Parts: sequence; structure tokens; C-alpha cells
Amino acid sequence: MAAEGEPAPVPSWQRGRVVSWLVTVDHKRIGILYLATAGLFFVAGGIMALLIRTQLAQANEHFIERDSYNQLFTIHGTTMIFLVIVPILAGFANYLLPLMIGARDMAFPRLNALSYWLFLFGGIILLLSFFAAGGAARGGWTSYPPNSVYAQGHGQDLWILSLHVLTIASLAGAINFVVTIHNLRTQGMSWTRMPLFVWSIEVYAILLIVVLPTLSAGLTLLLLDRQAGTHFFVPSEGGSAVLYQHAFWFFGHPEVYIMILPVMGIISEVIPVFSRKPIFGYKAIAFSTVAIGFFSLLVWAHHMFTVGLPSFLNAFFMVTSMVIAVPTGVKIFNWLATLWRGNLHFDTAMLYALGFLSVFTIGGLSGIFVAAFPIDWQVQDTYYVVAHLHYVLFGGSIFGILAGLYYWWPKFFGRLLDERLGKVSFWLIFIGFNVTFFPQHMLGLLGMPRRVYTYEDTGLLQEYNLISTIGSYVMALGLLVFVFNVIKSRNGRRVGNDPWLADTLEWYTTSPPPPHNFDTVPYVTSHRPLYDLRRKLKERGVL
Amino acid sequence: MRRFLAVAVFAVLSALALTGVALAGNGGIAPVEPASPNAQRINDSYVWVSIFTGAIFLLVQGSLLYFIFRYRRRRRARFEDGAQIHGNTNLELAWTVAPFLVLVAIGAFVFWKLPGIQNVPAADAAGGRVDVEVKGYRYYWNFTYPNGVIAVDRLRAPVGQNVKLEVTAPAFDVIHSWWIPALGGKFDAIPGTTNQTWFNAEAPGIYRGQCAELCGIQHTAMKAEVEAMPRAEFEAWLDKERRAQEAGTSTLGKETFTGACAKCHGLAGEGDIGPALAGNSLVNDANAVEQVVRNGRGAMPPIGKDWGNRQMLALTDFLKEGGLNGG
Repeated sequence: MAAEGEPAPVPSWQRGRVVSWLVTVDHKRIGILYLATAGLFFVAGGIMALLIRTQLAQANEHFIERDSYNQLFTIHGTTMIFLVIVPILAGFANYLLPLMIGARDMAFPRLNALSYWLFLFGGIILLLSFFAAGGAARGGWTSYPPNSVYAQGHGQDLWILSLHVLTIASLAGAINFVVTIHNLRTQGMSWTRMPLFVWSIEVYAILLIVVLPTLSAGLTLLLLDRQAGTHFFVPSEGGSAVLYQHAFWFFGHPEVYIMILPVMGIISEVIPVFSRKPIFGYKAIAFSTVAIGFFSLLVWAHHMFTVGLPSFLNAFFMVTSMVIAVPTGVKIFNWLATLWRGNLHFDTAMLYALGFLSVFTIGGLSGIFVAAFPIDWQVQDTYYVVAHLHYVLFGGSIFGILAGLYYWWPKFFGRLLDERLGKVSFWLIFIGFNVTFFPQHMLGLLGMPRRVYTYEDTGLLQEYNLISTIGSYVMALGLLVFVFNVIKSRNGRRVGNDPWLADTLEWYTTSPPPPHNFDTVPYVTSHRPLYDLRRKLKERGVL
Repeated sequence: MRRFLAVAVFAVLSALALTGVALAGNGGIAPVEPASPNAQRINDSYVWVSIFTGAIFLLVQGSLLYFIFRYRRRRRARFEDGAQIHGNTNLELAWTVAPFLVLVAIGAFVFWKLPGIQNVPAADAAGGRVDVEVKGYRYYWNFTYPNGVIAVDRLRAPVGQNVKLEVTAPAFDVIHSWWIPALGGKFDAIPGTTNQTWFNAEAPGIYRGQCAELCGIQHTAMKAEVEAMPRAEFEAWLDKERRAQEAGTSTLGKETFTGACAKCHGLAGEGDIGPALAGNSLVNDANAVEQVVRNGRGAMPPIGKDWGNRQMLALTDFLKEGGLNGG
């Protein structure tokens, strides 16, 4: 038994280079495991996307046949949402949350490790389902019944199993985040002194806890329909074909905000640091995060405007969907105002944050069109929606994630990612992204539905599709440069503990931090404890 | 900075080039050229929303670019603070209230247009109305007219007359979505429920669309056409078709084969994802064909489980009479 206050000695069998990662309960290592694993899944999902775009480069192409194509877009969507964006954000939260609030670890370190391992196995189940009898699931990431009930083979069942496992992983993680935020904040860190990233994780986690059980319920009913002979979603036996859609989207729409709110948190950390200013309207941004979280629970049926719901319901969901644009707009204007009269440093992290502002705005504005349900009747289930959701999830989430990676990389590893390579890859990704997805708005308006494996050479379909495919290759090249940068960073420039002169507590300790995170934690008097510290040192003439 | 400007100029130029191409044939900057009042009103709403979103787009991107240029670091070091401004209540209130007002304007316009888009004109409205049942099957559309005439994948309709569509799918099938862009928005064809929509074609012509809800392996092949023809011509066709279908001399069998069978078995029955039918003696056996069509087999869904005798007979006769050989 170790003496009080001293860390327990690590048994020798746990000290190996590999074993120490397998048995770790350190939030920082788990965070890195999350990021690395999700990064590998991102490569898998990205390859699927490139196959899809290659198939669509030409009209009447047969590079990939219809059945494989359906599997590809189903697993691409499921991978990017469940295995990439959500777990990457969990990775950031794992690594940063305890550091940002001055804690030694998460509230439940072992539960934390369990979350990660469940996530890993859930992901493996999903990707290996390509080898199941009959191939992977092919009903789209939404897997609407009755189509998904009648789907043959075991791909659909494995898809359900994988999502069940991932759901448990996310749920355990979310509970851990909430308990950590509520109980482990350091002295002086009141709610209005928490970093905005922590605010966003609080809302992210609460949303997950509220909506994941609904998804699990819907998936369980679907599984029972497929395997146990029930008829919840089988209309010919008295079931409802639409019920599942409510269960799915009650989860599925908040899920969109689950994927964007923490990214908004990242942006709210990055923009002030590289503008050398405090965030403009801290409380407005924190409150708008909560407001978006709340309203996101009331908009789910805007995915169902073509189902034929009563008019008053369509109207209700249109109004709530538009209301959510107000707090989103507040954030955008506050970020812009943070730039105003700043001392803007265009390091790669900042470039991604500014890129986020630019493209996420486009995704938000196309959201107004789809929220107006008569317009949605034209664009629903077309490439317009594909463009909209990629502007939000790639232009929003992935741009923000890349900003966060460039910003916190020196925290994680004590070394910088190369700035020159970073800028090259930023421009490739930024231009490639817009060239890929902007023309898809036009494709949708021209009448091209999503989830079709080919199209006829009419109108400008061929031209826009080809432009889009070329863009996706440019984007892939940019991402390759990023991967190269990551590999190269093993020998990257060493920097001090706080290369950006940042404001939040995670930069108070060494980079990378020791296992116990902090030797001491300063008393927190504002949401910028390190800025306060620097100012005090300046006043005393130390700095 | 120079690099940034070069990229910005490139982006603007390519956007302009693209817009030019697009404007040349309404190439996708607004929904497909409307040919029916409901589609027209959706387009009006689209344009109305575009005005506001366009303004916001310019405002946000403009100020973003301006701030990036105006407040770039120049030679300032990292530890030089920018202006320490923590917020401004009045400004923040302004950009909470202003977007709200914009949304009110958008919402008001949309709700004003809504009845003209959504409400099916009454049966006794000027010019009368034709009611058609539209049923989505894997992977074809079956249309039934009030006089009992059946059509597959091509809906014939009169110009200048209201057409009401009752969109549904049979209980044993999956969800599809009916969508002819030029004639209005899409409505899901859901097993067990019926959705109503309408159009009033302004000019003769063929308006194309396709299923918009993933329905399985042949989703892409599930196309639909509306052929709008002058009213007298339509009425003559409908009456002639009724007599032909009642007498069993119509082309319904061929139409059904092309729509319901050929997508998987090939236009001449040569086989595709489904096995070849040409040369298979079973196709001459009406009972065997009916068995398969009503119950499905292996991966084949029960594509005609609820067909009436008229359509079933039309198909089996077509096959028996050597329809696969062009006879």
C-alpha cells in the first residue's frame, strides 16, 4: 500500500510499450487512443467516399455495381458519424477536459477505458461486416424500415450490433464527462469561468444521454422485427413504417449538434488565442450553446417533411428549425467580433478556424432552405441535402477538428506540426472541399436524388459530377499531406509548454503533461486564468 | 498574404464562371424550371429565401475577409494584445433580434405561399379534376385512373387541368418517394398510408423524375414520367385505353413487363441481376408466373402481390404470346 498522496507503483508487467497502452486508465492516453483510432477509421471512410466519387465521375459508369455502391454509402455515412466525428470529439474531451478544469483525471478512469475499448470493437464489427454473408448493410446510415427489415444477409444485423455497442460506449463516456465537469473543477472555476470548450462538452454529453436510449430502442425494435418475428415496422402486419423514423431522428438530429457543438467549442478556444483578444460575449456563446442543445431536441421531424405529417406539425418543426438559426447566428457574429481589432496570427490552427467560419456559414444558410418545408419538398433526399450536410459535417466538424489538432498538437506531444505543410494542406483541403461539395447543391436542384449509383447524361449532371469528383481528389491530396505532416511530427520542432500564449489551464502544465497533470493549480479568477497570470507577472515586472 | 489574395481571386473567378454556366440554362441555381403552379410557388419561396441568405452570406464573408485583411498581425509579436473587448450588449442584442426578424419574414412568405402549394384544388373547381392513384412498388410505379385504366411508369395527364395524386405503396412493400421536379415537391409513398398531392401541367411535354427514397437494389432504376397532352387527346386516349384493357388487347402486358420485370431480368428477358427469362419454359405457364409474381422467390420481392386480374392476365398473356421475342 502506497502512502497517502503518492502514486501507487506500476507493476512491472504493465510497463511495456504496448501493454502500458492496453491497460492505461490515464485520460490523456485514452484521449490519444480515441484520436488515433478514429483517425484510422477516417482513412477507411475516406477511401469509401473516394470510391463513391469515382463511380459518379461519369454518367452510366459501372466502376462499382449497385449493390456494392449501396453498401459503400451506408458504411461511409455510419463510419464518419459514429466512428470518426463523435469519437474524435470524445478524444479531445478526454484529453482536454480534466486539464482545462484543473483536475487530475476523469471522474471514472476505468469506465473511461471501457468506453474506448467498446468504441474500438464496435468499429471493428462495423467494418468487418463487409465480409458477412450477403455483405454489409445497404439501407443507408438511416436504415429505414421496412426496407431494412426485408434486407437479406447479416450485414444489417451486424450494423445494428455495432451501433448498439457504440451507443453503450458513447453513453458511458457522456456520463463520465458530465460527472467530471460537475465535480472536479478546480478552486475558483465557477460555471462562468469554464472554458467554452468545456461548456460545449457539457451540452454534448447531456444531449448524448438524452437521445442515445431512443436510438437503442429503435434499433432493438428493428432487430426484433428482423430476427424475432415481431412487426413493429411491418405495415402488412399492422406495424408502422414511419415510427422508426421518429425514433431515429429524435436521436439523429441532436446527433448533428452533438457533432458540431464541441467543434464550436474548439473554435471558441482557437479564435481568441490567435486574435490575442478575449472571446467577444463569453456568456452569449455559452448560453447559445445551451439554447442550441435545447432546441435540437425539438426539430427532429424536419427530416420527415415528405412523410405527409399533418400541416401543423410540419409548421411546428419548420419554426423550431428556424429558431435554432438564431443562437447559431449569435455564435458566428460573436466569433467575427472577436476578430475585430485583434492581432490576428495566421497559424494553421487559425486558418482552419477561419475556414470553418466561412464554410459553416454556407452550411447554415442552406439549412434555412431545407427548414422551409415546401422548399424541402423539392430538395429533400437530393444532392442538395448531401451538399448541406457535408458543409456542416466536413466544413464544420472536420475543419474544426483540424483546427483543434494543430492547436493542441504541441500540448499532446510537445512538438509542433509543420506549419508550412500545414498551410499547403489547408489550402488543398479548403479549395478541394468547396469544389467537391458546392456543385452538389446544383446537382440536387437539377433533380439528382442521393443514394443512386449512377445517373443519365442530361442537363449539367455530368459536368457538375465530374467537377465534384476532381474536387474530392484535391481534398484527398490535402489530407495525405496532413497525414505526412503527422508522421513527420515525430521529429517536429520542440516548443515550450505554451507556444501560442494561450489562456486556459491546460497550458499551465508541461507539454505533454505528467501523468498526474499538475503539480499546482492556480486559483481561477476568470475564464482566462493564464491571461490573468501573465498580466500579474507583467505588473510585477517579471515578464 | 499574396498567396491568400491569389486564391481569393481564383475562387471568385471560378465561382463567376460556374454561375455563368449555370445561368445559361438555369443549371441548378434554382429548382428545375417549374411547369405547374405548385412548383412555381415553391420556386417563388426559394427565390425569396435566397434574397435574405444571399445578403447574410455577403455580410458574413465580407466582414470575415475585411477583418482578416485589416487586423492581420503585420509585424506585431504574439504577446502584443489586441483590443481587450469582452463584448457589447447592444450589439449582441442587435444580432440576436435581426436574424429573428429575417426568419419571421421568411416564415411569413412561406406560410403565405403554402396553401397554393399544398392544398389539392377541389374536384368541382374550374376545369374539373382527374384523380389518379400512384402506387410505388419495388421498383416501378403503378397508376390507376378513375375508370380503371392501369399504367406503369408513365403517367398520362391533361394539360391545364388539375390532377390529384393519391400516393401510396402496398402494405407488403417499402417506402418510395414520388417526385417529378417540374411538377412540384416530393411525397413519400408509404405502405399503409396515403399522401395527397397535385399538379396542373402548363404545357404538353414529358416531365421526368425518379424515386427519391432509397428502396433497395434497383432504386436508381425506379424512374417515372408524366406525359402531359392536350385535354381532348388525353380523354380520347383514356377512353380508348379503357376499351382495350377491358378487351385484353392493350399494351398493358408489355408496359408491365418493361416496368416491373425488365429492370432485373432484362428488356428481352436476357437476365441481369435476376435470372434470364428468355428460354425458360415457365414463362409460358400463366399459373407459374402468377405464383412467382404474387409471392416472390429468393431475392425477388412479391412485386405483384395485389395486382388485379386485369394486370396479371395482361402480363401472362404477353409472356405466353412470345412477348420476349418481340412477338
